[in-house]
Amino acid sequence: MTEDLEQKLRDEVRTLLEKGKIEHVIGYGEGSLKFATTPIMISDQADVDRLVINPFIHNNLSVLLPEVSGKVAVVAKVCDARSIISLVQNKQVARENVFIIGVPCNGIVDVAKVEKLTGLDRDEIDAVTWKDDRLVVTFAGGSKEFSAPEVALDSCLDCDCSGFKEFDLVIGEITPVAANKELSRVRIKEMEAMTPAQRWEFWKNEFSRCIRCYACRQICPVCFCERCFVEETEPLWVSPLPRWQDNLIFQAVRMMHVAGRCTDCGECQRACPVNIPLGLLTGKMEDIVDELFDYRAGMDKDAAPLMAAYEPEEAEDLMR
Amino acid sequence: MDTFEPKIVAFCCNWCSYAGADLAGTSRMQYPPNIRIIRVMCSGRVNPSFVLKALSVGADGVLVLGCHPGDCHYLTGNYRTRRRMAITKKFLEYMGVEPERVQVSWCSASEGSRFAEVVSAVTDDLKQLSPNRLFND
Amino acid sequence: MKKIKKQNVAGLLEKWQKEFTVFVPSKASGVLQMAAWDGENLSFLERNRNTAIPPKANFLPTMQKMFGFRKEEGGYVLEPTDEDPPKQLLFGIHPCDARAISIIDMVFKDAYEDKYYLSRRQNTVLVGMACTSPYDNCFCTSLGFGPADATDVDIMLTDIGDSFLLEQVTDKGKGVLAGAKDLVEATQADEKKAKEVKESAKAAVSTKIDTKEISKRLPLVFDDKKFWEEIAAKCVSCGICTFLCPTCYCFDISDEMLRDGSGGARYRNWDCCSFAVYTKMPAENPREEKWRRVRQKVYHKYAFYPELFGVIGCTGCGRCIRQCPVNWDITQTLNSLPEGTAAKAEEKQKTS
Repeated sequence: MTEDLEQKLRDEVRTLLEKGKIEHVIGYGEGSLKFATTPIMISDQADVDRLVINPFIHNNLSVLLPEVSGKVAVVAKVCDARSIISLVQNKQVARENVFIIGVPCNGIVDVAKVEKLTGLDRDEIDAVTWKDDRLVVTFAGGSKEFSAPEVALDSCLDCDCSGFKEFDLVIGEITPVAANKELSRVRIKEMEAMTPAQRWEFWKNEFSRCIRCYACRQICPVCFCERCFVEETEPLWVSPLPRWQDNLIFQAVRMMHVAGRCTDCGECQRACPVNIPLGLLTGKMEDIVDELFDYRAGMDKDAAPLMAAYEPEEAEDLMR
Repeated sequence: MDTFEPKIVAFCCNWCSYAGADLAGTSRMQYPPNIRIIRVMCSGRVNPSFVLKALSVGADGVLVLGCHPGDCHYLTGNYRTRRRMAITKKFLEYMGVEPERVQVSWCSASEGSRFAEVVSAVTDDLKQLSPNRLFND
Repeated sequence: MKKIKKQNVAGLLEKWQKEFTVFVPSKASGVLQMAAWDGENLSFLERNRNTAIPPKANFLPTMQKMFGFRKEEGGYVLEPTDEDPPKQLLFGIHPCDARAISIIDMVFKDAYEDKYYLSRRQNTVLVGMACTSPYDNCFCTSLGFGPADATDVDIMLTDIGDSFLLEQVTDKGKGVLAGAKDLVEATQADEKKAKEVKESAKAAVSTKIDTKEISKRLPLVFDDKKFWEEIAAKCVSCGICTFLCPTCYCFDISDEMLRDGSGGARYRNWDCCSFAVYTKMPAENPREEKWRRVRQKVYHKYAFYPELFGVIGCTGCGRCIRQCPVNWDITQTLNSLPEGTAAKAEEKQKTS
């Protein structure tokens, strides 16, 4: 099945390049890590066969888009495509310069979750395959099965592809992972059931191991500020030193800065080398923005960005 | 009674709320001395990083005061404030900051008494909480 | 040669705890890293895959106070930090990390003796554990040593089933084992088993690079902009590869003032050459473009460090590959270096 999709993708891309409709393609290539792909940029028809589609197309390739000039095709899952449109909304990318190729996704396998559930590292696992909505993990000496909510990235569980109309081309059929938003919000609900003090303690603990590598910020397609607020020293909003206080402030402010542009793609959580559950923040922020302002980033390319728009009457119940 | 005196950082916009504060002062209205006012040209200037900075250096509460929606000197600045601060309040509450610690209100240049009222009310709210030890080790 | 039964290791750690803070690989924080032993958990004796955060953090912490200063009579008085840091024993260090420590020792002992690093280093005992399960992207064997190399530790343990074979490598190592109970003579069979374990680990290291070829090609491809742009295309300029690298040591220094202005302190923290602002100066940024920074990373480790210190600044631990969010792989880069042209080679000959 996937092989057909791959072939179709390659054929389509080859044609687009041949006809001069696009100059470059950003897509997924074979990774050197198990259960991973890697971003590749192709300008030559001869390289088209390097493109792959598999359950590990985790990267949000839109992060690389602003660096590439000319007409670019991007292989995108729905969350990534929404990020592209979010960039268009924020005038970082011109819509006419991007050709969005939609690919189906059953939910990105969260390797960290699989490792935790099996007690094995990724190189000790032989194979990971979807069997309908169960993930089969095989390793020396056996195999285990898990349900999608157990092993997919939290951000994938509330995947809502309906209503997205900006694909220029769709390979295969795009269907939601598990159209059950409740599932993806289980951990957020658990957070909300805690007292404020417990929640703060939780985040204090999580941010104690942050090493300020800024992978979360760098991998995020909508963190496109030329000068991040952390670089400001006069005044110093947040210290560059990795104290938990400054780590927490950095992330909290980053979340608030990307509010309305973030599409909860899950990349920041996946990228974090010390496993901080950033999806608990991005998911909640997406909900806050939707509940308060009936707004979802990256759905309508002509819609004004969240913070550039307003209604005469809104959110007054939160004002004193 | 064993209450503490909360330290409140108040961001006041130059055209409305700061003038309102001035009016309260010149009219000799009494209001709690707990606030430390930082004047900004527009409440829309207030970045979430200001709020977090204030809390991290020991402010027990942050108050953002701007013009009434529709009356902003820069026409739309306070609409941005409203969106941004609504998000800030809800998000910080989710992270574990008591909602009373971050408050937003509208106060025009002629509302000296309202300024005094809002400051009193916010001070009372914060007195019910304990001193801010969020960022203590 | 001595050995110790696994069930007696706890006793040894307890003995050491009296004199040192004993660090062991632990996932208690949420990520596998060296952490102070809690006195109970011994899972690292059975399963000792390398940590995510390297043990350089024990000598060059992510953040370190260098000194304080106090305002007094119109000037500032320096308040040195404690020059004698607490003694620490790192248990379960892999040879790649131990080799890395020896490599960065050279930097901190170079023109200037960095007392902040060296005092911690001197107060540390390294108890290594031979690696028995290298990751699929480890490549230590290509760098002149192997997963069971004992050169850079004070004591080396090798897992031979129900016991560890103990090699007392340095006098420091012998010193801390003096008076240890439960050490018994290893038999010939034990030593044979240990040899097998070491050979097996060496054979399990599957990723390889050709350092000879690399050192030949690197000087010739420095200006191959097209190659480096392709290589750098997917990098997002975060700090993961650098921060998780056991041989990276760059740091930034900043002064922080106390709010009342009465003084402050000078700190240092980890810095990363991949950051866009790393070389940013008021006038210019020589490495504004990403490809220059990626190129720099490769050259620093495989060309400049060898020039300065005679050793490649990489120990093949594979962390950068495992954790890179875009799967940038230094072994792929190194294995795909273009040959460079003969003309370039001649040019280099003339200028060098």
